[in-house]
Amino acid sequence: MRAIGKGSLSSILAVGLHVTRVILWIMLGLVTLALIILPFAPAIADLFSHSDGINIDGVVDAEDFIKVSYAFVTTAVMLFVVNRLLEILKALRFGSPFVKENADRFRGIGYALLMGEGAKFAFGFLSLIFDADVELNMTFLAWLAIITVFVLAEVFREGARMKEEQDLTV
Amino acid sequence: MSISVKLDRVLLDRGMSLTELSERVGVTIANLSILKTGKAKAIRFSTLEAICKELDCQPGDILFFDDDGKTTAD
Repeated sequence: MRAIGKGSLSSILAVGLHVTRVILWIMLGLVTLALIILPFAPAIADLFSHSDGINIDGVVDAEDFIKVSYAFVTTAVMLFVVNRLLEILKALRFGSPFVKENADRFRGIGYALLMGEGAKFAFGFLSLIFDADVELNMTFLAWLAIITVFVLAEVFREGARMKEEQDLTV
Repeated sequence: MSISVKLDRVLLDRGMSLTELSERVGVTIANLSILKTGKAKAIRFSTLEAICKELDCQPGDILFFDDDGKTTAD
């Protein structure tokens, strides 16, 4: 399978990532909306409860805030990662994957994943206090993936240095 | 970098243009410009040999070790 061009793995991945990005933007929009609306939920519920036949429980707990905030952070991290991956694939399509920018992008992905895991722990602890439904568990595979991304970033940094040296060898 | 390239001076002494040298040694003008402007990170022995052959000079006439920003062979 070709690395670049029509029908290549990178072009298939790019299509998949573009679709994922659209879905994530919609998800982020909805979660942001939920985060904004949540403090006014009792008032909205009260407004609707005056209508015939509608009885809404407008009580908003800390548990709801934790869940929505966690969804917001997770979606934002995923969107950041997808965007960086698309930029890396774009550089690959232009025929120059070994550039310093790609090393920085991989490092950025690593930090984002690290932040995502950190947020998982933070929200997990909060859920213990407020009894929210956010799992507090450590996934070995997730940490391995983070380490892999950081290793890749260093490989790309060295690759970029070697490419520059090769380009400037007369 | 501590190594400086004095290709322009040797070219001037020989009355040869960069284009002419490029044609003679078979290295592109872009690459010779990289060498001439001191942007090159490395030089192949084959390139150095071809340049020295065409300019009738020694590698030391083109390359200088420039310590503390001062050229030692001037």
